[in-house]
Amino acid sequence: MWTEKYRPRTLDEIVDQEEIVSRLKSFVKAKNVPHCIFAGPPGTGKTTAALCLAHDLYGENYREYVMELNASDERGINVIRETVKTFARSRPIGEVSFKLLILDEADNMTDDAQQALRRTMERYTETARFILIANYSSKIIEPIQSRCAPFRFTPLPRDAIIRRIEYICEKEHVSILNDGIEAILDLSEGDLRKTLNILQTAASVGKPINAEIVYSVVGKANPYSVRDMIFTALNGDFISARSKLRELLQKYGLSGMDIVRQIHSEIFKLDIPDKWKVKLADITGEIDYRLVQGANEEIQLSALLAKFIEVGYEIKKVS
Amino acid sequence: MSFRATYIPWTQKYRPKSLLEVVGNDEAKRKILEWIQTWEKGIPEKRAILIYGPPGIGKTSTIEALANDLNMELIISDASTYRTEEAVKRTAGRASQAGSIFGKKKIIVFDEVDGVSGTADTGGLREIIDVIKNTRVPVVLIANDAWDPRLASLRNLCELIEFKRLSVHDVARYLQKICLKEGISAEDKALKFIAERSSGDLRSAINDLQALAQGKTKLTYEDVAWLAPRDRKEQIFNVLRMIFYAKNSATAKSAVNMADVDLDMLFEWIYENAPYHIKNPLEFAAVMDMLAKADIYRGRINKTQNWAFLRYVIDLMTAGVAASWSKKTTGWIPFRFPERIRTASMKKEEKGLLEEIGRKIGKKCHISSARAVKEVLPYLRIILWNNPKMGREIAKWFDLNEEMLTYIAGEKLPSSAKF
Repeated sequence: MWTEKYRPRTLDEIVDQEEIVSRLKSFVKAKNVPHCIFAGPPGTGKTTAALCLAHDLYGENYREYVMELNASDERGINVIRETVKTFARSRPIGEVSFKLLILDEADNMTDDAQQALRRTMERYTETARFILIANYSSKIIEPIQSRCAPFRFTPLPRDAIIRRIEYICEKEHVSILNDGIEAILDLSEGDLRKTLNILQTAASVGKPINAEIVYSVVGKANPYSVRDMIFTALNGDFISARSKLRELLQKYGLSGMDIVRQIHSEIFKLDIPDKWKVKLADITGEIDYRLVQGANEEIQLSALLAKFIEVGYEIKKVS
Repeated sequence: MSFRATYIPWTQKYRPKSLLEVVGNDEAKRKILEWIQTWEKGIPEKRAILIYGPPGIGKTSTIEALANDLNMELIISDASTYRTEEAVKRTAGRASQAGSIFGKKKIIVFDEVDGVSGTADTGGLREIIDVIKNTRVPVVLIANDAWDPRLASLRNLCELIEFKRLSVHDVARYLQKICLKEGISAEDKALKFIAERSSGDLRSAINDLQALAQGKTKLTYEDVAWLAPRDRKEQIFNVLRMIFYAKNSATAKSAVNMADVDLDMLFEWIYENAPYHIKNPLEFAAVMDMLAKADIYRGRINKTQNWAFLRYVIDLMTAGVAASWSKKTTGWIPFRFPERIRTASMKKEEKGLLEEIGRKIGKKCHISSARAVKEVLPYLRIILWNNPKMGREIAKWFDLNEEMLTYIAGEKLPSSAKF
């Protein structure tokens, strides 16, 4: 996968986020790292920066000194209590007197686990430093935030992404047209991982990459978008809308919560009277709350789709 | 048919005393016997077996018969007893360590393990796992659904043995044997009819036979044929029609008692079929609203374990639905089997596979398995379609096996992309 093949290995290889990189380099020089929070949108180099820091700090065999955990997969308190603690409490052999623990998607940790983590960070500071990676630092509890040096990653500038696309195309002997680059930028929303995934998929077609190819592969990767489902419902076809919902939930592994949030962000882009937008937002909020309370995803989202059917009908009646 | 305690159920009376009397599932029985015999030579690699399959086909009976044959003592815990950590430790835990130099050898049985409750039986499953890990006597687990996610960690410790539905022929023959002992002369056609109706569930077939034949000397096809309208499919259709088109709330609510399926299943039938019958958008939204609210009460029952809330689920899903629309439809609309149920069993296995794929991709790409499924997998699928060679290389690097590859590519997997 090109996302991995072209992932920078050292801090020097990271082309953007200059300020962050220079601060991290100063840690390497001092052979000391504080606990850190790397926050920012997806695909902006947070995990890469953490891995590069580890590489520069410990050398080629950095894996021996680093534990990488993904909080979405192992979000329970027991992982913190057992796995993390076992790793954190012994002192490594070598120049650097501590190990590095990279906790990805840390904003998905339960509150309990975060509380346990806070104690662990405190107790084993001598032997282990933590890098917490999150989209939103606000979802990390205050006591942890106050123990960490914050790093804010920003979406990569267009130029930087274009340079990256061109660099990879050259290396892979892939030709790409300007409208192809534009299309990728349009679809990837500043997320470099998404950019490279789209690029590689478009390249797999085996022709010079143009806008048409890009839109076609992305379209195939997401056959039923949430927006598509909403339009089907507004047009009054509940049964098709429900099939699309099932597809999203089952085949594409979206959670009910993902879908609710996406529906919400689509509502205000719709070409319907404001009165209805607000009404739909209200209902969406209610469904969101029900899902948080543990109601069944498909049933609740179906009820939401039925409301879209109702709105579509009312609007047609007026016009 | 319900009988009171004044008689012995034939299911008890004719429970097999020996393995030879247990019908069907020969392969499974052989495996169990072999496994029990390996204990003679010391503790085998798998200290437990998990017997699974639909109800009424002889899972528990097999173990009882076997214990009887081998003169072993059964220590059984089923869903009727509390299975908290404490309770399991007290009974099974102790028995699993007891020596057997004097007295009978033991088998520990956890029947209906998929019924161990998450809330009421706190720590029960964990303790069962502990018992298995340390046991010095054979442990047998019995469940309907071996793929219940809660049994995941148990499953790994057990040898899985599947029991399949019995054939009509096997069921009918067993019924014939009972008739002989009861002094009933029964027409083959009648017994075959009962057997067919049971869809391989011997227990329910014996119950039906007792209800129809006890006290008689003859059983004819006419005696049993009246059962036909109780055929499951028709029944559910009638119940649905009664709910959707009920003239008043009392009728709609009473339909629940007629249903041959459980309430969750009935809910799925109503939810699946509502959009085909209720075409007016405003009315349909109102009906969906009722179902969504019924679902909220189901959630509340789950959360509080207070089954008194069930009455609101019933109110909303029956009377609530019926009262929310004008019941005007044109033409006859057939009822459909709930899609969610059709795919449920497949989905569970599929889900496991998808998670495994996600984990493998996530590990290489430094993301969570959920994000791997959402953000990387769709692209890998397209790459496999467009460029099998590139796709295969990536899949290999992710350490995905052929089953996973076939799953990802779906129907469209070009043969050159197979390993």
